[in-house]
Amino acid sequence: MSVIIIGAGPAGCEAAYRLARSGESVELIEKEAEIGGNLNNWYQLFPDRKQAADLKAKLRKNIEHPQIHLHLKSKPVAFSRQGDGTIQLTLDDGALITGKALLVASGFRTFDAHRKEEYGYGIYENVITSVELENAFINHQINTSTGHAPKRIGLIHCVGSRDEKICRLYCSKLCCVTAVKQAIELREMLPEAEILCFYMDMRMFGPGYEEMYREAQEKYNIKFVRGRLSEASEDREKRLIIKVEDTLVGKPLKMTLDLMVLMVGMEPAEGNDQLISMLNLQTAPNGFIQVSDPHSGTNCTHQKGIFVTGCSSSPMNLTDTLTDARSAAVTISEYLNS
Amino acid sequence: MSVIDSLKKDIHYIESLNSCMNCGVCTAICPAAEFYNYDPRIIADTVQRQDEESLEALLKSDTIWYCGECMSCKTRCPRGNTPGGIIMALRRASQEQGWFTESEKGRQQFALKRVLGTNILNYGYCITPDIVKPEMHPEQGLVWEWIYEHRDDVYERTHANYRHSGAGTLRKVDDDSLNELRQIFEVTGGSEFMEKIETYSLRKAEENGLDPESYFLQTYMANNGTHGEEKSNR
Repeated sequence: MSVIIIGAGPAGCEAAYRLARSGESVELIEKEAEIGGNLNNWYQLFPDRKQAADLKAKLRKNIEHPQIHLHLKSKPVAFSRQGDGTIQLTLDDGALITGKALLVASGFRTFDAHRKEEYGYGIYENVITSVELENAFINHQINTSTGHAPKRIGLIHCVGSRDEKICRLYCSKLCCVTAVKQAIELREMLPEAEILCFYMDMRMFGPGYEEMYREAQEKYNIKFVRGRLSEASEDREKRLIIKVEDTLVGKPLKMTLDLMVLMVGMEPAEGNDQLISMLNLQTAPNGFIQVSDPHSGTNCTHQKGIFVTGCSSSPMNLTDTLTDARSAAVTISEYLNS
Repeated sequence: MSVIDSLKKDIHYIESLNSCMNCGVCTAICPAAEFYNYDPRIIADTVQRQDEESLEALLKSDTIWYCGECMSCKTRCPRGNTPGGIIMALRRASQEQGWFTESEKGRQQFALKRVLGTNILNYGYCITPDIVKPEMHPEQGLVWEWIYEHRDDVYERTHANYRHSGAGTLRKVDDDSLNELRQIFEVTGGSEFMEKIETYSLRKAEENGLDPESYFLQTYMANNGTHGEEKSNR
């Protein structure tokens, strides 16, 4: 009997590989036509600027392990348990999968920036998200909607994070460092442009992050303005007029940007609520899956035999996601052998 | 009672300040901050720090009178605060203590009380054309001057019922309604509140050696021209 894993993003793939290596058979279920999840939207990774495609290739190679059975374009639609506790999962193609343990690695989705209407995403042409900027990096092309190289670019932190107005009270953790990384990448492509980050707090929590932030200021001439965007409007040239307060100066500020990038935060994955209700799990206050203990049970849920890893339980960067997946593999191995 | 204790009893304060993270969204959206030496974020921060000396200085300053109470800040704050509501509580505290007479913008409370406060009780309107005298309102310009001089004819032609009993725009508010209005002011403490503004203001007038009328005109017309200027201690 196997371990069932829902989601073949970085967390699901890493956990599958580690479990397979320790002798378990794994059923890996992915709703999309390919593995990788949100990693597929990224160009380079912080802090070392590794190509996201390289990491994905490694994950893909790992899950070629003979003990791993990958089910692409598949979604679980029903869940039940047999008398001995064996987990049964019905997929949308009618397949029935059984396992001794289930690992939820359904990940996250990025915040839908349309919901911050005052920022003008979907209304003004030159407002894009950090995900769209990554795609622009993949294509090596940064232009405004009118076909010009942007002269002044603003990166807006905390879009969909730390904001009561959209019921997202938590910090998504990695938007700050993403902004720093993207600002540096922008600088490399546009040596003459003015690049500004509008932040509230710089949360440089990971190894190498603070150093990257400092380098962004010292070496790449990125400007950091401490103030949260209140609203944007558009002028006749399709440029954006933004209003923030430079809180360190104590003055309201109006500025024109050619391109505005919204650093979108992380939300529970699409289908998260249905999954929680299907598996009878608990929802954490932030909407993600509640773990059984914030220190000793970070991979455990309130259901025996059902585990969680990666961004299913809270926003995480890739480093922590992969670490968490290995931790989940150990937790499951222990469970299976006890 | 300390300023902070009196604020904590005010429903506007209770509803308006949870905890501020100084993000500046309120200042960025604030129309008053665009023109005045005014920063709603600093208001929230000052109150949050609960330093009595700073609070007293704030209540005696022009600062709390710059806000237009448009409440744009409420629509934006990611922590659910309302600096405009904090201002309402600060203004009330300043009025209760009489500290509003310490600043030019604060002293305008007297003009407001004498104009709007008196009008509502006398006419049932905060503003009626009769009392918008052109010499007191140069900003209204020549057109208003002409309308004012010909107001009976003008309002008749616009089918208003100006100063007459019965139905229609600008009609005379009947005595029963006026009495009811005055009673509401009595029962809710509105009259007592306005009396307080009057008392503190006349005390200030006397302190400055001005008769009430001159003091009124001063509160109405004075502008030291520094309200938009940056203060060096910012």
